[in-house]
This record gives sequence, C-alpha cells and structure tokens, in this order.
Amino acid sequence: MTERGTLANLKPTDLPAPPQEAIGIVRACAHSDITSKRLAEIVTHNAVLTAELLRIVNSAFFGFRAKATSAAHAVTLLGQRALRNLALCVAMRDALRPDAIPGLDMAAYWEQALRRAVAARCLSQVARLNGEDCFTAGLLQDFGLLVMLYIDQDRAGEWRRLAEADPDERYALEQSLFQTTHDHVGGALAVAWELPPELRQVMAAHHSLRDIDTAETQVLCKLAQCADWMAAVFTAADKRPVIRRCHQLLQDYFGLTAEQSNDLLDEVAQGIGAAGTAMGLSVGAQITLADVLREANLQLVEDNLSYQELTWRLEQALAERDRIAAELNRELELAREVQRSLMPRDSDGQGCSGAGIHGVNTAARELSGDFYDYFPTRNGQIHFCIADVSGKGMNAALLMAKVSSLFRCLAKNVADPAALLTMLNREIVETSVRGMFVTMIGGRYDPRTGQVWLANAGHLPALYMPTLAPMQELPADAPPLGVLADVQFVTQELNLAGGALYLYTDGLIEARMPSGDELGIAGLKALLRKHADVPTVQRARRLLDAVRDAEIRDDLTLLMIDSQGLSHDLSGSTGS
Amino acid sequence: MSGTVRQEGGYAIVCLDGEIDLHSSPEARKLILGCLQEGKPTLVDLASVAYIDSSGVASLVEGFQLARQRRLDFGLVGVSPAALNVLKLARLDKVFPLYASVRDRLG
Repeated sequence: MTERGTLANLKPTDLPAPPQEAIGIVRACAHSDITSKRLAEIVTHNAVLTAELLRIVNSAFFGFRAKATSAAHAVTLLGQRALRNLALCVAMRDALRPDAIPGLDMAAYWEQALRRAVAARCLSQVARLNGEDCFTAGLLQDFGLLVMLYIDQDRAGEWRRLAEADPDERYALEQSLFQTTHDHVGGALAVAWELPPELRQVMAAHHSLRDIDTAETQVLCKLAQCADWMAAVFTAADKRPVIRRCHQLLQDYFGLTAEQSNDLLDEVAQGIGAAGTAMGLSVGAQITLADVLREANLQLVEDNLSYQELTWRLEQALAERDRIAAELNRELELAREVQRSLMPRDSDGQGCSGAGIHGVNTAARELSGDFYDYFPTRNGQIHFCIADVSGKGMNAALLMAKVSSLFRCLAKNVADPAALLTMLNREIVETSVRGMFVTMIGGRYDPRTGQVWLANAGHLPALYMPTLAPMQELPADAPPLGVLADVQFVTQELNLAGGALYLYTDGLIEARMPSGDELGIAGLKALLRKHADVPTVQRARRLLDAVRDAEIRDDLTLLMIDSQGLSHDLSGSTGS
Repeated sequence: MSGTVRQEGGYAIVCLDGEIDLHSSPEARKLILGCLQEGKPTLVDLASVAYIDSSGVASLVEGFQLARQRRLDFGLVGVSPAALNVLKLARLDKVFPLYASVRDRLG
C-alpha cells in the first residue's frame, strides 16, 4: 500500500500492472496493416478472452447482425476497432480482482461504470459516434477512481459518499480525500498502459474538456461528461439538481429537449440489465426513470411544503412583532400620558393662573428625563422646580416620576428649598442605580412680592433678567442629587423686581442651530432679550420656534417666572 | 468612543476618547466597573474626550460610588476642557478627585 499523499505525485510504479493480453490486442489493432487472420490468432491465444468476447458479441445488448461462433468470425463481424474496444473493456474489468481493495464493493463500482457506459452508448447516435467507442469510453472514463482507491486503500470506506455524490461533488470530494482527482490518475494510467489515444483523452479530459486533439474526441469527451450526469440521475442522493443539470448539458452539447433527454434516461434504466449480462457484470435491481422523477417530485413537494411553512412562520413572526410593537407603542403612549400628567397643564394653570409662571417640555424620545413643576402653597406662594435625569428613555422616565412625586410630596411640608433638596438627595442616593443622578433647581416664589428662594443641585445656571440691569447667572453650588449622601445645599434668595427668571435644561442650550453651532447660554440669553416684551406663553412659543430647525438631541424644557406676569394677567385672581 | 485599559503603578488606567454619549456610555461603564470589580484602584483618563453627556457622567458617578463602597481610590485624569465644562456646570468637579496626569496621582 502506498502512503497517503503520494497520489498527488503519482509514479508509474504505483499503478496496478496492465492486463498483458488485452494490451497485446490493443497494440496489434494499432497497426493498420494487421490482417483479420492475425488478429483472430492473437485473440484465440487466450481462451478466456475468446469466450468473453463471443458472449459479448452474441449478447442481446450489442445485438450484432449474426451470431459469432469463433474468434475469427467475431473479428470479421466486429471489425478491428470494436474488437479492440471490447477486449479493453474485458481487460480493464479484470485488471483489479474483486478483492483487490478490501472494504470496497467492486461490483457496485462496476455497476456505476456500466451505467455510464450504457448512457454513453445511448447518446452515441445523437452524437453521431460509434456505439462501442462510446460504450468503452463510458465504462472506463472513471477508472482513475478505482486506481485511487487501489493506491490509497484506507479510503475504501468513503465509497458510499463518493457513489452518492453528483459528478461535481465527487470531483471536489476526491480532491479533499486524495488531493488529486480521477481524471488525473486515469490519464496517467492510460499513458502508462498505452491505451488508445482517444480513450486516453476521454479519461484525462472528460471534466476539463481541455487538451483534446480532434473534434471527434472533443465530442466523445462531452458525451462522457453527459453520461456521467445521466448515470448520476439514478444514484445521486439529491436527484432534482442532477436532473436539471443533466437536461442542461444535453441541451447545450447535443441540442436535446428535456423530453428527448428523459427518453434517453429511460433507455439507460432499461438497458442496464442487458448490458450487465453482456459484460458479465452483476447489477442489482434498477429503478426506472419514473421512480426517479417521482422521488424528485416528492422532494419538490416537500421543499415547497417546507417553504410554505417557512413563509407561514415568517408571517406569524412578523404579525407577532407588529402586535408587540403596537402594544409597546400603547404602553409608551400611556407612559407618556402619565408623564405629562406629572407636569402642569397650561389649560388649568395649576391654580397659578396669572402668576406669570409658564413651562414647556418636549421629549427628544417618547419618554422624557426632564421635568418641571409648579403648584401653589396655602399661603399664596408657588413651589417650582426643574430637573433633568441623567440618561434617557424608560429608566430616566421612571426616576423622573419618582423625583417629581417626592418633590410634590415634600414641598407641602418643607418650605426651604435647600432642606427640600437635602431630603430628596438622601432618598435618591439610597435607591438610585447605575450612577443615575438628577440635576435640579427647586424653589419657592412669592408672586405678590417677587421674592424667590431657590437651591441648585448641579443644574445649569438659572438666568435672572432684571428689567434694566444685565442678565445674571445663578450657577449650581452643589452637585446633582443622587451622587453623594452628605451634601450641603444652599438656598439663594433674590427679588425679581419686575424682572424674569428662566430655568432650562441642556436640551435647549445644546440645540444645534442651522449654523452648526450650539445655541449655548449666550445664544439663549440673546433670544430671551429679543422676546422679553411678549407675554410668557407667546415668549415660550417664540423660543421654541427659534430652535425648531435646530438639531435637538435631548429633551428640551423651559420654565419661566415673570414677575411682570402679575400685573399683566392677574386681574381677578392671586392664585389660591 | 473608544476605550482602553492599562495597568500602571498598581492602578488601572481607563483611557476614554471621542464622544461618550447614550450609545457609548455602556462600554465606558463596563471598562470602569470591570477594573473596580477586580479590586483595582482606578483612574479614568478623559484627556481626549470631545463630548460627554449625562449618561456618560452617570458612568463616572457609578464608578465613583462603587470605588467609595469598596474603599478603592478613584479619580479622573487630564480632563479635557469639554468634559471639564460639563463637570463644572454640575459642580461635579468638587465631587470627583481630578488630577492633571497619571503621574500627578501616582507621584
């Protein structure tokens, strides 16, 4: 046994020994001047070969005109070339003994070879070639595979995979198993055994169709390729693509219709039994083309069924996704509604109508992490706050809901903004997750006096715009809520004295204006100055209009307290 | 944003750059918390941070809080002007220990 891998560097000495008797006949036939008498003498010299040839010649499969009774008669009936071919078939068949490759079902190999041979002979008329030439080509074209298994006997166990593969798959499989292919090995063997040139080329080039001498041999190689695929129709595991490929090749090479191709395939199925008998090869029960087509159609139906099932499942999945998305949208809308309810509604004024206090909030996403609130106290003052929860989305919205509720609840009993933020901070530090924090300005406003008390926990500076003096920033003097437990907040006190106080979140000052720049605090101040003279509700609308074309990447909130609002709007009411 | 971690003088140095926003902050968080969970004192290098939003700051806050809980040293290093501005507005510059450089902290 040769070591694995040497197949790729095949040497003549690796090959099995050639069958001498047959080679003698081949050589004799190569001489054009040899007489029939001399040829008959050579054949008669081997009694076994003579008996084989007579059986083949007289077989129903080959159906020669008359019955041959002797080698000499056979030579006359067949002619030199047919005799040579049949002698070769017998010789090659016997070149390797049935037990030469342990573990390989040699009969199964030859049955496949025979199917190719019968297919090739069926095609011979269409291709206008000699029937016996085609039969021989078909029988021997894949002999290289047998040689590979003979040299690398460890691979005999791979036979089933090779047998069930279509020609292309088998070729690739050979390459991966043997690092070479049957056409290369077959070609090398044909040279070593001095096989006739056209057979040499069929064995070497029926896949590549390259390096072929004559047009006739070219046709023979194409025919061998078709025969390979025709045989595979009956043996390949997946028959549908093989039938399709077979039809395609027969149409491309020989102009056959699918119907004509099927007739030929039918002929192959029906002819193989007789061919086996003629060649002395045992063949098993054969399936008909009808069986093959039924199996292929069954596969088609199965494939269609699974396709339909797949489509159905996909539709179900999409419907489910839409249902969940709709549900999620409903949930989000509900959450948004709850969130809106946590902020004052313009329409009811929260009992602060005419106090000159007004807020707006637009969420960059469905849910906002920003909020503002204001509501009156029992003594006619107003509690207010603005806050921004870190991050966005559902987690920010949930924390926002908690903080706004706590603010409302605590503010009813805690008047001092710093004390209120201290309590809020402790609560948030204790329960906050993932480093979430809240920047907040909490305060109290007395609309009657214009007095404001506020504390800033890490929030952007409040802007105080006095009636005459320049605008003032009231920056944070403590970090946001939720970062550190022990923070001292400071209450700042100021009197609006006819001026206005603006609280906002970063969504507003980070709005990217059409110029490409962020609005910034300076830009906000400029806008506020520009629209200072209109009532608060319109002022807020104009500010939003000014950033409407801007790229907003965060929630945007603005709360304004205008002490002029008292004189503007508070004709009949001072709140509660 | 991209982030790397290196070891220096017994500290884990988490180096973040680019924009730390809602999309990239989970990655920043993972890097910072990973170091602290391994018990390493950690410095976060913000020298090349062009932008940081509140979700990015929350990652730093979470690191700061976990470090305090585990009694590990934690600080911010070489904070870029953009990041420093955000921290200052929120008065968080008074919360996080800030260092000019890693050397400044390690000595």
